[in-house]
Amino acid sequence: MINFTVLLLLGLIAVLAAIAGYTEDLESVIGSQSNPNSQVQLAPQVMRPHRYFNKAISGEPISNALTAAIGASVAYLFTYISFPFLVSLVLGSIVASLFHAYLAFVSHTGRIASQGRFKQPLYKDVIRSHIFPIAAYAFLTVFCILSISYILKYALEHPFPFPLISLILGISVGSIGSSIGDVYYGAESLYQNYPFGAGINAAHSGDIVRKGASGILTNHDHTYFCSMFGAPATGLAFSATVFLTTWITSVFNPKDGTIYGVLAIILGILFIICLFVLNRILEIYAHHRFGPYRETEKGDAVDI
Amino acid sequence: MIENLFDVSTVLSVSNVAVFLFVLIGGVLISLSVHFIPIGGAPAAMAQATGVGTGTTQLAAGAGLTGLLAAGSVSAVTNNLYLPLFIGSISSCLMIAITMFSANLVYIFGVGCPLVSGKRQRDVITKDRQDVYVSKGTEGHGTPTASFFSGLIGGLIGGFGGSLTYVSILYLCTKTVGISFAGSAAFAATCSIALFYINSVIASYNIGGTIEGFTDQKFKKMPKAIFVSSIASAIFGIITIATVYLFIVPATGGIF
Repeated sequence: MINFTVLLLLGLIAVLAAIAGYTEDLESVIGSQSNPNSQVQLAPQVMRPHRYFNKAISGEPISNALTAAIGASVAYLFTYISFPFLVSLVLGSIVASLFHAYLAFVSHTGRIASQGRFKQPLYKDVIRSHIFPIAAYAFLTVFCILSISYILKYALEHPFPFPLISLILGISVGSIGSSIGDVYYGAESLYQNYPFGAGINAAHSGDIVRKGASGILTNHDHTYFCSMFGAPATGLAFSATVFLTTWITSVFNPKDGTIYGVLAIILGILFIICLFVLNRILEIYAHHRFGPYRETEKGDAVDI
Repeated sequence: MIENLFDVSTVLSVSNVAVFLFVLIGGVLISLSVHFIPIGGAPAAMAQATGVGTGTTQLAAGAGLTGLLAAGSVSAVTNNLYLPLFIGSISSCLMIAITMFSANLVYIFGVGCPLVSGKRQRDVITKDRQDVYVSKGTEGHGTPTASFFSGLIGGLIGGFGGSLTYVSILYLCTKTVGISFAGSAAFAATCSIALFYINSVIASYNIGGTIEGFTDQKFKKMPKAIFVSSIASAIFGIITIATVYLFIVPATGGIF
């Protein structure tokens, strides 16, 4: 029996997850966190000083899990002393985002200071102009994660404690953001100085783009660039993950009998097969569309 | 209570030994699953290596814990011990599949490169040529079909391992020592997360950051990781069971 309230809540979870994925990716882009950080870190060592914010608090999943768990713990504390739940979630998110901003500041200054021997300056205006967007994106991500956790815990009666659900969702959004959105940042946005259509030659590592059409690039330019493709892709992937994994057991709820659980498993397998087939179609399309790799006069690019 | 703990028959009761073995198997399965998941590490984020562009530990843990979340919700509504295992496994696989597919979308439409492996001349499953599509100075990009299939297997195994750990510790806490379901679920989930990270890190060191799945040469190093993670999981299992009897039971009022 399909419960429409549950479906409505699942829809809300999907929307919140899409926003969480989107803001999580932009947060990692504006602070150069996760894997592409290696390039920003490497740039001064190959004589390319830059004006990028360079933080790598930890891997994205762990960093997001930490902020989400802090936010959830604080929010839980406020609900415990009878604050309205929405106010508690906002207060929890504020505390978590402040904590995240502090870690970002320490991480950035420490990393840049260690590169002083490669003549990399520490710009105060870069810190001032990046730390608040980092906190803002972290706030949005944590707030969405907390809201999803709250719905899962108190409306859909998940057995795990509220902070633990937030921690797991934080790890999940981090790993998806790190796998999907960062590819667009690392392979395309940071290497706009190389022609489109190929992987980045390992010999070019560290030679990241530093000059824009007007002036020197900062992470704000990359955030604008990534907000058009990498971040929405991350948001959709996280939304699909959270929605589908809860939807299969909501439509065929194992509470109604073991057979429904088996049907949920079969539904999950069908989705997986669909994705496998779609991936194959995508692979064939790409091989036909791009063709074999050829070098052009300009260097490493595929001549389409 | 302490006297009871040192009683050999209590320590070696069937349920304790069974839980220990299931934690051991769960840990080994997690370690095994990491070897199947195609991971390109930091180079894959610059489209320099085949696989998903993130760390080995991160994606395996992200997928496994998504499965754990689903397994947890199922374990609350059914007494069937097998359903959480399989639903956890499927959810984990679903997360990996969505992630690999979406990452491939970014590789094709965002970066503009086809999905190829730089380590094999032809794909093991589709028999497509690979080497001619690889960009200069890279080892491939994206997740081609063989690696995708390998990732799905990894997701299934990892999700199953994590859920097995969760369900066995949950069973120990609720059925054997009689702790409340909510407390048991929290403890079992925390243990499962810990075991996930321990074994993912072991496997990650073994494969050195990047692997293309079962088609990769590094996959042959897997027995070493299995050996090490069985030791680590055994120690973890002993600590878990000891924690239940030494700290949680006195605090919550269990069987003793």
